[in-house]
Amino acid sequence: MSILQVRDLKTQFFTQDGIVRAVDGVSFDVGVGETVAVVGESGCGKSVTALSILRLIQKETGRIVEGSILFNGRDLTKLSEEEMRAIRGHEISMIFQEPMTSLNPVLTIGTQIAENVVRHKNVSWEKARERACEMLELVRIADPRRRLDEYPHQLSGGMRQRVMIAIALSCDPKVLIADEPTTALDVTIQAQILDLMLELKEKIDAAIVMITHDLGVVAETAQRVVVMYAGRKVEEATVEDLFENPMHPYTRGLMKAIPRLDLDAEAGGRRIRLQEIPGMVPVLIDPIPGCAFAPRCPFATERCRMERPPLVENSGGHFAACWEVDRVREIAA
Amino acid sequence: MSDIAQHLSEAPVRKPSAVWTAIRRNPTIFIGASILAILALMALFAPMITGDPLRMTPAERLRAPSETWWFGTDQYGRDVYSRTIYGARVSLTVGISVALVASFIGLVIGLVSGYFRRVDAIVMRIMDGIMSIPSILLAIALITLTRPGLGIVLVAIVIPEVPRIVRLVRSVVLSIREQPYVESAIAGGTRGFKLLFKHILPNTMAPLIVQATYVCASAMLVEASLSFLGAGVPPEIPSWGNIISQGRSFFQIAPWSILIPGAFLTVTILAVNLLGDGLRDRLDPRLSRRM
Repeated sequence: MSILQVRDLKTQFFTQDGIVRAVDGVSFDVGVGETVAVVGESGCGKSVTALSILRLIQKETGRIVEGSILFNGRDLTKLSEEEMRAIRGHEISMIFQEPMTSLNPVLTIGTQIAENVVRHKNVSWEKARERACEMLELVRIADPRRRLDEYPHQLSGGMRQRVMIAIALSCDPKVLIADEPTTALDVTIQAQILDLMLELKEKIDAAIVMITHDLGVVAETAQRVVVMYAGRKVEEATVEDLFENPMHPYTRGLMKAIPRLDLDAEAGGRRIRLQEIPGMVPVLIDPIPGCAFAPRCPFATERCRMERPPLVENSGGHFAACWEVDRVREIAA
Repeated sequence: MSDIAQHLSEAPVRKPSAVWTAIRRNPTIFIGASILAILALMALFAPMITGDPLRMTPAERLRAPSETWWFGTDQYGRDVYSRTIYGARVSLTVGISVALVASFIGLVIGLVSGYFRRVDAIVMRIMDGIMSIPSILLAIALITLTRPGLGIVLVAIVIPEVPRIVRLVRSVVLSIREQPYVESAIAGGTRGFKLLFKHILPNTMAPLIVQATYVCASAMLVEASLSFLGAGVPPEIPSWGNIISQGRSFFQIAPWSILIPGAFLTVTILAVNLLGDGLRDRLDPRLSRRM
């Protein structure tokens, strides 16, 4: 059963240069307790997708023009601002990319966690503080009672991200959206935060939407992966399927661009060059009639440039939007 | 907590040395605050440490500073010492109340203007309008329309100071509202006014406090200028401005009645500015002095 169903979501920004189609018809489901990763490079619309789910796109610049976001059967795009506020931070919560700036420097950690609890659970401040203390313990912050009265600048980046997670989980959300939760952290802390998230997932059974550009993070955390390119979903599969048998040329390109120690070893210790994907991400202002990846794709044909490929299920639960899937597969085999 | 840690945390802190390091780290705050504290005490206890500032002793006109007349006397035989100390009352009252009132009004308007984009353009044009009026002219106009008194002087000085505070607060609000922690508060379901008061307002405090000290200094100067021009506090209330103004015609034979209140004014403004500079360095090293 899915808790969150994104259907044909289109989010556009209205700039002086024209309409930016940041998210251009994306659909995916998130099951109860499932972790779905949304991957893609910078500017592919993955963060905008996340913000759209919580309806956090600034009204002055952009809006959701089409599609629906069903959460527990309710269409979030049709709710009033008041109803959305009750959902944000409560039933759906979000962790942001920048732990260094995502906490208010002038409020204590305890206040920032308790505030969320008071707002959504209608409890007293004392109760909320107790909850805040429990949450800090849950995210493995040592000496939580003392930390409650500390300010964000007294914590390290990793600890701040733990606090962000504590805030996000403080009201037992059903869906947790993590927008590149480890990007701003250094590698050892990244691993700790990912471990923590995996561990907490067992305890809280929230579904997670993991927005990332790091395929390593995907492999470690997610069950299912949505690959986005230029505001469109180009491939969707289980993690095993995607890594074993990437179907879309873009996904294959991404895989080849991951540095791997085992390949170096296979080549007899000789260093082999990483492959990059040639070309640039397309500008999203001009409408793209065909496949958005066609200009950079080694398999592209005339048809790819003219007609937009539909998302087709190629094998059980593995979807790809590519006209040339068969050729890509042959070459891979 | 282990025994050693417990022991350490309960070890007596040597207070004097803590105070001393605080002073050494930030001497300007200490110097500025001390001077102001002394002045404030003098102004507060003026009746006990001086005589009547209005009493004339015609026989003792234009006396030079001496043991009886510490700061000398003016052309009516009034004690310049008493008048100067009483004058501190006016300056400090004007400085502090203008700073408080202008900060409060400016804060409210600035918050609204920075947060609600629709009113921003209108409010800021009004503020630009007020800023374009020379403050002394505005004060003179206001005072000629009403009866002279301390109240109207305060109003006249507050009005031109408000836009400065508004611009500062607005600029802080504009930058804070784009901060990720505000976005994350919105993502947590915080509503508009809560967001403004709980998450944005506290961030404006540090620059506002610093700006308030400069407003305080500027208000004292404007009050002195107005009183000097005869458009400030009425002559029966001694203020540094009107003492200087009245001593002007006798400057060559009795310079003390100008130099001494002038020196007090200078030192007071200096103290306020030192305090403001110190606070600025302490609270926000990047903030520029004047908006």
